[in-house]
Amino acid sequence: MKPTVNVLYLPGTNCQEETVKAFAAAGATPRLRFAADLLSGAERLDDADILCIPGGFSFGDHLGAGAVAGALLRSHLADQFEACRTRPLIGICNGFQIAVRGGCFGKVGLKVNSSGTFRNDEHVRHVVEEDNDSPWLTGLAGQTLEFPCAHGEGRFHPDAEGAAYRVALRYEKESNPDGSFDNIAGITSLDGLSFGLMDHPERAVDREVRLAFFENGVRAAR
Amino acid sequence: MIHKFSVRSAGVAEPDIRELGRSWELDDLEVWRDYYVEFEGAPDPAALTDVAAVLGDQLDVEVSVDQPLEPGAVQVAYKRGVVDNESDSIITVCGLLGVKARAGKVATTYRSESPKLRDLVVSTRFNATIEEVHDAEPQYDTLVPQGHYEPAAQHDLRGLDDAALAELGVAGGRNLSLAQMKHVQHVQVTLGDEYVTDVLLEALDARWSDHCAHTTWKSLGSLLGRLVQAAKDVDNSNVLSMFHDNAGVWDFYDGHAIAIKAETHNGPSAISGYFGQLTKLGGVLRDILGTGLSADPIGSFEYTAVGEPEAPAPIAGRPDARRLAGETIRAIKEYGNTFGVPMMSSRMTFHPAYRAKPFALGGSIGLLPVSAAQRGTPRPGDFVVLIGGLTGNEGIHGASASSAGATMDTAAVQIGAPLEQVKFRKALIELREEGCMSALTDVGGAGLNSAVGEIGEACGVWINTALVPLKTAALPMWRILLSESQERMLLAVPPEHQERARKILDKHMVRSTVIGRFADTGRYHVFHAPDLTEEALIASAPDTVPAHQGETGFDVAYDLLDIEVERVEVGAPPRPSGVPEWPSLAPAELAGLLEQVVSDAEVASQHYADSQYDSTVQGNTFYGPHYGTAQPVRTAYWAGTPVAGSPAAAVLNTAFNPWMFDADPVAATRQMFCSAIAGQVLAGVAVHDICMCDNFYTPHLSENWREWLVGMVDELAALVRHFGVPLISGKDSSAGSVHTDEGLVSVPPAVFLTALGKVPHHDDLLREQWTAPDNVLVRIGLSTSSPVGTVAARKLDLPGGALDDLALSDVDGYLAALAAHRNLFRSGARIGSGGVAGVLAQGVLASGTGVRLESATTESLFAEHRVGAVVEVAQSDVGKLPAELNPVVLGTLVPGAGIQLDGTDLFTPAARDGWLNSFTARIA
Repeated sequence: MKPTVNVLYLPGTNCQEETVKAFAAAGATPRLRFAADLLSGAERLDDADILCIPGGFSFGDHLGAGAVAGALLRSHLADQFEACRTRPLIGICNGFQIAVRGGCFGKVGLKVNSSGTFRNDEHVRHVVEEDNDSPWLTGLAGQTLEFPCAHGEGRFHPDAEGAAYRVALRYEKESNPDGSFDNIAGITSLDGLSFGLMDHPERAVDREVRLAFFENGVRAAR
Repeated sequence: MIHKFSVRSAGVAEPDIRELGRSWELDDLEVWRDYYVEFEGAPDPAALTDVAAVLGDQLDVEVSVDQPLEPGAVQVAYKRGVVDNESDSIITVCGLLGVKARAGKVATTYRSESPKLRDLVVSTRFNATIEEVHDAEPQYDTLVPQGHYEPAAQHDLRGLDDAALAELGVAGGRNLSLAQMKHVQHVQVTLGDEYVTDVLLEALDARWSDHCAHTTWKSLGSLLGRLVQAAKDVDNSNVLSMFHDNAGVWDFYDGHAIAIKAETHNGPSAISGYFGQLTKLGGVLRDILGTGLSADPIGSFEYTAVGEPEAPAPIAGRPDARRLAGETIRAIKEYGNTFGVPMMSSRMTFHPAYRAKPFALGGSIGLLPVSAAQRGTPRPGDFVVLIGGLTGNEGIHGASASSAGATMDTAAVQIGAPLEQVKFRKALIELREEGCMSALTDVGGAGLNSAVGEIGEACGVWINTALVPLKTAALPMWRILLSESQERMLLAVPPEHQERARKILDKHMVRSTVIGRFADTGRYHVFHAPDLTEEALIASAPDTVPAHQGETGFDVAYDLLDIEVERVEVGAPPRPSGVPEWPSLAPAELAGLLEQVVSDAEVASQHYADSQYDSTVQGNTFYGPHYGTAQPVRTAYWAGTPVAGSPAAAVLNTAFNPWMFDADPVAATRQMFCSAIAGQVLAGVAVHDICMCDNFYTPHLSENWREWLVGMVDELAALVRHFGVPLISGKDSSAGSVHTDEGLVSVPPAVFLTALGKVPHHDDLLREQWTAPDNVLVRIGLSTSSPVGTVAARKLDLPGGALDDLALSDVDGYLAALAAHRNLFRSGARIGSGGVAGVLAQGVLASGTGVRLESATTESLFAEHRVGAVVEVAQSDVGKLPAELNPVVLGTLVPGAGIQLDGTDLFTPAARDGWLNSFTARIA
């Protein structure tokens, strides 16, 4: 039986197709979960082995990137989202912003890039942290993975108190595209189940790189 | 009740705000985002706290509630007629929190102790067309734009003389000529009616405008027909649809097809770069969505030409080129990134002829099944379903106060709302897959009138404008019909699929309303009947208009709506003669010229703009828009693999150079056409697998403009026939002359060409990155050595003259040899602006490898051999290059990173710096 993945599809989500493809190629059964169906109760967010919040501009980034989606997760879907956090969860780009607002990593922020604007770069190099045993990172410690960056509000900024995360990825030296604190490109929750990153492995041209995290997530859910 | 929530980053300001403060030299600048929310009734304090918590739900953000504007602060807010995109999301959030809101509005407040603040805000952050400046807290009684219904005005034309008809034709901002008014008079007499309404006059004014009816092109002898006939004569089997849908459709592989379309928004972009460019990209993406039974956009491209950034605007009050450039980048970034379509190619040109009215071109390609490639046909009985954004009092006659009256909120432009379009994008694909539509089209220029009028022409149609969901409290019938609110689509939905279609649209959170029905009448019928509800309409018999108490705008047979356009005969355009000579320059002088050339915006890096556009979303970008392991350099083509699991690639490139069209529009057309084809073949595409999209932007008041236009069209038709490369889509804009404070300013007669090709496997594509030292660089292709139109000629201030005249038989020979010997090339780069020197400089930057030239002259380095390339060949293969390629050895790749000539490095540090930073320095 293939693990199932719920891919949250909100108005403004725009990276769902490459994300679905990546999970399918990694051996899972992904399916979109529409906000309208979740709100009406016709479908659930927590009836899959993995939750993925893909990239895009949910609700147009209105009221702040991820703000409306975060409010949705914390209000009508709070119980279901809490259940999802006990299993593998991945948030990519806007999905990371939403996961942050959903409380997955304690008090951390993703702020306007240091350049003050959107940054697109097809070839950003990321180094996987050595001492994070998150299931999303299994077997990747120390590796450098190249995949695209495309975001405007990805400058990682932890609070001095109240942050609850472990570093998962760092931008290779001199290639930090957004001014993130300590070159941090991705983090996990303390238990390693929730994984958030701003850049887009699902868009990588190299198949091995494209699927690395997704295969790990699927393996963890088997 | 209206409450205000003000948000800003606490502590250290965000980088964008700090940068703004630096540029304004205001160390104490604060920027607040003000959200006004109109609640239904009075919300309890806990609800206000909850809303504030959502808005402040970020680290280091502070929120204040109902804090009035402080003295000295300056607030910029949209006028009430302009509906903020965030309004819907504000209402949604309030709904999630269990409190009902009616409308929202966003404003920006600037605070500083500096007395310069107001002037700085007004001069750089304020657009009087749609915004207002507040020095004190604004007092809103409602955030909903106001408007009211007015009965249709009635005009009996039967007894009117020419003067009265002419006066009525231009009353209220209309632009109907006397001949057109006489036709309306004829319509009234034929119908036997007592009067015609202003609804009919407005509808016909739009229908017969140059924008919708292409009257300029028709008057010159069916110019579009000439291009279409040429394409038909070619009979290329890849053509699935051309020129009769919102986009052309080209066969791809394995049952898939690709739609292509480009269009311009030049006029709106002259008024506001931001709003014009937003709607340009949104509009062309909607064209793709509305092609066949809907295509899914898989790539976008854009080109913008504005005046020199250092020059003032030629019309007082208009934004200058520098501001237009900045607004363009912001708009393209916001719409394209939000929509989620990869940027395939973007470029900005600074040319003085575009200082009054820019060239704002946007394009897109989309994927669809061959089975859905043909334009749909509505059937009598199908519902007319309007989906997407609300309809506002927007873009009508420039929304002049005189035509709207004092009690009607208006907006000259609408703020592009990509979120609406993202929502219905995938809904349309699902509707298509479920067979829920028999036809669809986008709602763009001339609004519902154009969309309903065109799609209904197949059989007949009636609509009830009272059912159209509005942004405003109410609107007159003709304003609903003519509103240019964006992000709307019109569907023909068979009754048996209506319920399923509604469910799909609801799932995607797309607003949809049944507003009428297609009918077997051959008539276009518009009425306004508030008593006829959507439910009653859906339940009514499919073959009759339900009884109602409303008033009729018009009910006219389609064949009465067509009007003849008077034909204008023109002769041949005057062609230039004489070719200036290239000067002889010493190596040091060549290095100096190289620095100037690579620092020109036509050659220099535009990374400042490109790096703000998402080029990898959807995960299908295979090649481009940049290459280079050492430095990102713009590629000459883009390739994507849009079909899951398939290695087949779509290949896109463009060709345009306004300086060449300045010199000789006909010769420039030939060179650009051949250049685009040669670029495709170099990449790996067979000539038979290439099609093109044309976008004419021509003047209408300059000398010989008609002759040049006809000459370019005829040249293009001849090229299509010669190469068998059809034009399958295009658009004409014939209003490129503007009366300014400096006098008349006209753009050159010109056509922008976009080529779309396909290859069965992406491995067949030739890349541009140099691969290894000791390989030889060879220039191949036709020689176009005239300095006219080149970057170097402008830097050297050479006189004008003629462009090279290409012999098409030579082009044939080159293309055949190119296709046959591509296996010898290790890499290859098309020659364009900057000539060989431009290719070498960018090759060095991209690869980190140097080149040692065997020899060089001003001509050999800087002539722009546009139907040619610089290819990298192994030393042992140089002798295998056939004479048809016209090979000229340039030099050898060497370790290091320079362009060496007789011991001199032509590529100086200053040149590198100029290539990297000159564009940014001119506009940022």
